[in-house]
Amino acid sequence: MRPDRRAFLTAALAAPVLLRPALAADARVRLRDLYDKDGSFSDLAGQLEGSRISVTGFMAPPLKAESRFFVLTKMPMAVCPFCETEAEWPDDILAVYTKRIVDVVPFNVNIDARGVLELGSYKDPETGFLSMIRLGDASYG
Amino acid sequence: MYKMLAASALAMAASGAFAQEIAQSGSDWFTDGQARLEAELAKQPNTNRAKNVILFVADGQGVTSNYMIRLWTGQQEGGLGDDYVQPQEAFPNLALVKTYNINAQTPDSAPTAGAMNTGVKQRFNLINLGENAIHDDCSTEAANELTLFSELMTEAGKSVGAVTSARLTHATPAAVYAKTANRNWEDSVPEGCDGSRDIATQMIDAMTAGTLDIALGGGARYFVPEGTETPNGGKGHRPDGVNLIEQAKAAGIQYASNREELDALSMDAPILGMWTDSHASYEADRPESEPSLADSTRKAIEYLSQNENGFYLEIEAGRVDHANHAGNAKRAMIDGKMFADAIALADELTDDEDTLIIVTADHEHSIVINGYCGRGTPIDGICFDVAQEGIEHSGEPVLGADGKPYTVVSYANGVGSVLTEQEDGSFAAPEGRPDVSQEEAQDLDYIQQALIPASSESHSGVDVPLYAKGPWSHLFDGTIEQNVIFHVMNHAVTAE
Repeated sequence: MRPDRRAFLTAALAAPVLLRPALAADARVRLRDLYDKDGSFSDLAGQLEGSRISVTGFMAPPLKAESRFFVLTKMPMAVCPFCETEAEWPDDILAVYTKRIVDVVPFNVNIDARGVLELGSYKDPETGFLSMIRLGDASYG
Repeated sequence: MYKMLAASALAMAASGAFAQEIAQSGSDWFTDGQARLEAELAKQPNTNRAKNVILFVADGQGVTSNYMIRLWTGQQEGGLGDDYVQPQEAFPNLALVKTYNINAQTPDSAPTAGAMNTGVKQRFNLINLGENAIHDDCSTEAANELTLFSELMTEAGKSVGAVTSARLTHATPAAVYAKTANRNWEDSVPEGCDGSRDIATQMIDAMTAGTLDIALGGGARYFVPEGTETPNGGKGHRPDGVNLIEQAKAAGIQYASNREELDALSMDAPILGMWTDSHASYEADRPESEPSLADSTRKAIEYLSQNENGFYLEIEAGRVDHANHAGNAKRAMIDGKMFADAIALADELTDDEDTLIIVTADHEHSIVINGYCGRGTPIDGICFDVAQEGIEHSGEPVLGADGKPYTVVSYANGVGSVLTEQEDGSFAAPEGRPDVSQEEAQDLDYIQQALIPASSESHSGVDVPLYAKGPWSHLFDGTIEQNVIFHVMNHAVTAE
């Protein structure tokens, strides 16, 4: 149960600047709210940059074992043979750089990833994965 | 006694009047039933020759998905949902369609769309090849190529269009113009298949040859070489280095990558529009710069209507299917509503006297509607109990034997499985079935609970509805095989 998710978001949207310090521990964000429909980052993403936030989503199957990196998706990374001819990332994802080696969670189990929101281009040295938006110093569960 | 009463009621109905007063005669249900009877008695078959044929296909929107979308739309408009009538549901003629493929009880979208476009059932994963063709074997293509409805229409002097919210090279739109041993050969064919052409190449060849005059949808990456930026700013995917978009432009075909560019095109040359590099957006996620399915429908009809001989247009809502595959019923509902909007628009822009409009699906999904819910229960939420009095639900969630509520819509398999992989590799639900609140269930990204774990929810072989209006639409009746659709379309455009 996530009874407070929408309430938190509404508060964050209503007064982002004032709330920013208070968000440090609590801000729960839906992944889709970090993006606008044209694929650019939302105002909310800009406002939360540098803050520690909690984002709900799903852990995509990791690209590399024993890594400190995984990709958070808003819905499970279903592999649909009739939708795509090859596996591909959705447009709205969030790279998550974790404090500890990733303990893999099945791709269809809902998790909360908590970390510091970072914007800007970054290429993962191990996997070559290019991210434009990330959580750093993250934990999850 | 009962039989006699029924017989006498029938006799009076046939004469156009229900003179007998019975206890329920004053009920709205009764008078509505009488009104429907009168409408049925007044029906006259339309035996004009069809100038135009529009085939609407909502990918994956069988009877159950259609029910879900009906309730969603009706509830969005403030009603209880179940009594809502979608535009296609007001059409005068209806059939149920059997969708299986030659070798598959559970069909896929390639041979199903192929059956509608050629008049014969086809094999799983193949498009528009005869029954002796083999999946993934390009050597079986040449001897098995079928004649397409679009080719017959071109011969008859008509124009042809394909509109989709999926990729234009995806199975359903591809069935308008392509013939292939593998639906996935969208931008390349295997080594050694020198006599074969990938689907994107076939599409541009059809546009250049004049058997396809307008094509609107997604999928630009399969028309642009690897290493080259697509008009949408993404990466091209073609391994052969051929830029089909440039080739199309050189052949005089106009190109648009967004709404603004589409609006700026002239109406005197063929039109190719691709708003995205893969599938177009789900309606719930569509940016304003991207034309909706209804916008594309309008453009296609306006363009094709310029041909005084008429046209054939296939319009696909491609992503009802994808949302169902993802176990995300909400997006299927919203895309289904857009499909209905496109149908209403097409109906408005054409004349029943000369245009046959068919609305169907290629297949159903393993989607499930749970009970027993009271009326007005939000179709995108949890099931609320039937109230003892009044009409609407009681507001009390119906609980499973596990004491937890459940959503009205669920799936029999997929990523929403209540069984998840455990550390030892087994699948289990140690804490039982997850609880679900109304707020969670109604979230746009909610994944409905499912039973069997699977990386993608599956199609099912259940019948799909077919609604039709216009010339010869009364030939759609009873339970039919999917390939019959072609035969009625072909009869309608050739009837004397």
